Amino acid sequence: MLRTDEILSTIEMLHAEHLDVRAVTLALNVEDCAAPSVDLLCRKLRNKILSRASRLVEVCDRVGAKYGIPVINKRLAISPVATILAGHGQTAALQVAKTLDSVATEIGVDFVGGFTALVHKGITPSDAVVIRSLPEVLSQTERVCASVNVASRHAGINMDAVHEMGHIILKIAQATADRHGFGCAKLVVFANIPEDNPFMAGAYMGPGEPEAAVNIGVSGPGVVCSALKRRIAMDKNLTLGDLAEEIKITSFRVTRVGELIGREVAAELGVAFGIVDLSLAPTPTVGDSVGEILKTLGIAKIGAPGSTAAIAMLTDAVKKGGLFASSSVGGLSGAFIPVCEDAALAEAAGAGHLVIEKLEAMTAVCSVGLDMILLPGDTPPETIAALIADEMAIGVINDKTTAARLIPVPGAKAGDWVHFGGLFGSAPVMDVRNAGASAQFVHFGGRIPAPLQSLKN
Amino acid sequence: MVFRYPHSYVINVVADDRPGIVAAVSNAIEQLGGNIDACSQTVLAGYFTLIMIVSFPEKLDAALIAGRIERADTSGRGYDVVVRPTIPPDQFVPRPECDRFVITAFGKDQPGIVRRFSEYLAGKDINIVDLYGDHSGDEFVLIGQLEIPKYWDIRMLQADLEQMGQELGFTVKLQHENIFVATNQLRLYGTPPGQTSHASHRRDFIHD
Repeated sequence: MLRTDEILSTIEMLHAEHLDVRAVTLALNVEDCAAPSVDLLCRKLRNKILSRASRLVEVCDRVGAKYGIPVINKRLAISPVATILAGHGQTAALQVAKTLDSVATEIGVDFVGGFTALVHKGITPSDAVVIRSLPEVLSQTERVCASVNVASRHAGINMDAVHEMGHIILKIAQATADRHGFGCAKLVVFANIPEDNPFMAGAYMGPGEPEAAVNIGVSGPGVVCSALKRRIAMDKNLTLGDLAEEIKITSFRVTRVGELIGREVAAELGVAFGIVDLSLAPTPTVGDSVGEILKTLGIAKIGAPGSTAAIAMLTDAVKKGGLFASSSVGGLSGAFIPVCEDAALAEAAGAGHLVIEKLEAMTAVCSVGLDMILLPGDTPPETIAALIADEMAIGVINDKTTAARLIPVPGAKAGDWVHFGGLFGSAPVMDVRNAGASAQFVHFGGRIPAPLQSLKN
Repeated sequence: MVFRYPHSYVINVVADDRPGIVAAVSNAIEQLGGNIDACSQTVLAGYFTLIMIVSFPEKLDAALIAGRIERADTSGRGYDVVVRPTIPPDQFVPRPECDRFVITAFGKDQPGIVRRFSEYLAGKDINIVDLYGDHSGDEFVLIGQLEIPKYWDIRMLQADLEQMGQELGFTVKLQHENIFVATNQLRLYGTPPGQTSHASHRRDFIHD
């Protein structure tokens, strides 16, 4: 029999602190949809998604209701679209994207990820088609999300691809200038992209995965923050070790919610249960913020010295609790610091406490990278590429996933506030110091070789 | 349910709480040659209640057992004892296949809260296997652990209960028990599917 205090503490976590399942992502292999004619390709793609995913939303809602936990976002991730676009051109790429967009609308998922190219060592013709189609794809579709892996622990950093992405990101921003460059929010540039990430915009179904799998991401910044505040209010003599322990326990409980829901959704859909992603994913809602956790840990101004140590402790404790809760941990599993999507981080950026360089340092110890960073519209493409290169270097050298989701806002300058709305929030355009000063480095191109895996000081 | 001896009884004791009640009751049972096969005790607002399943090698009169337990009290304060023979497992009201859920309700206390919810549940053949109610600050908290027949659509029950909660000014949630198990215990799942409180009444004997 359950104990009353157990029931009450779970009720508090779910209903007072608004724990929810952020994303149930059905990953689907679509490599068998390749076809010599683009019409046939699109028809096969649509039929396969409808046959495997049409019940996703209904099942998520039913399972969520059974446990009293809302599943906020239902999503789809497919094999890298470059694999099915081999032999086709940019027109075909756009047609495939529009097919994905319409079938996503039809089955009620908010995003479909996997408009992806893996180019960490080199760019195939179909990868080039995918990358060059991105300005059209991301401006003419609503629900398609793209990712490009430009670096890996084994290959190093493909600087030609990084340079190309600098230009492409600017083109996407210009193609969606009427929405402040919002198209760039649907593109992530990765180092060491995970094959089983449930979070958008970077979700895709990677190599080595089964035919179909359910991957799940549970939110939890609000719950962790509340647990810390409650603990601090009860005991004035806490050490950081005690607070890390509290985060660990809370992470265990949050992860268990994901495991329970994920396994049941997968079983109902008749597909494999993939992973739970432990990541603390903030939303613009006040209180549901990783920045708020840092403040609770005693960093009065986010970005102040100590911020990196605090987020390192947070990320490590989240992993320790989550790994004990589930044997199926994967994806990104860290603490996201997307400036635009986290009200406290956006506020700190607006006040000048949080700058790009400090964010970059923080991403060396948490996931996932320079995420939802608004840049001045006149940032040169080489500087965007260099920002990406820096973030990729952190991932490659530290043997972890890092990413860049950079949004140059057309016509905006540092300090202007931009409002995207919904989960994407609002934030100030951040100052890019020394813009234009990395051009020669980027223009060298080629590949930064794979790093040493020993002598890691 | 495992019984040591073939003749079993259910015993209920109610008293104002104090040390020594369990000792007195168990002493009387031992004197009668019985064995306590299962027991559960709780204290609420200073009042003690105990339920025991006790078995004996020989058939005994229920009134005799009750009398011996009552006389075992040494405090002079007394307690109320009810003893009745257990019934064979096949005489329990048959239960449909059920799933375990937890109902929680929070709101301003008023007469009729427990009645409204329990009448609704009874009307749906939903069995309450554990019930807790108490004040928490300004609120009354009601928690029931339930066995809900599998033929019900949970979302319909949730809608009914939430509507009833709104009428009473209560926040009501109905959730599968596994969410509480998964977030509090080392295991992920609670009661195996199909195992209800009555299923445990199958008789097994220990043979010395």
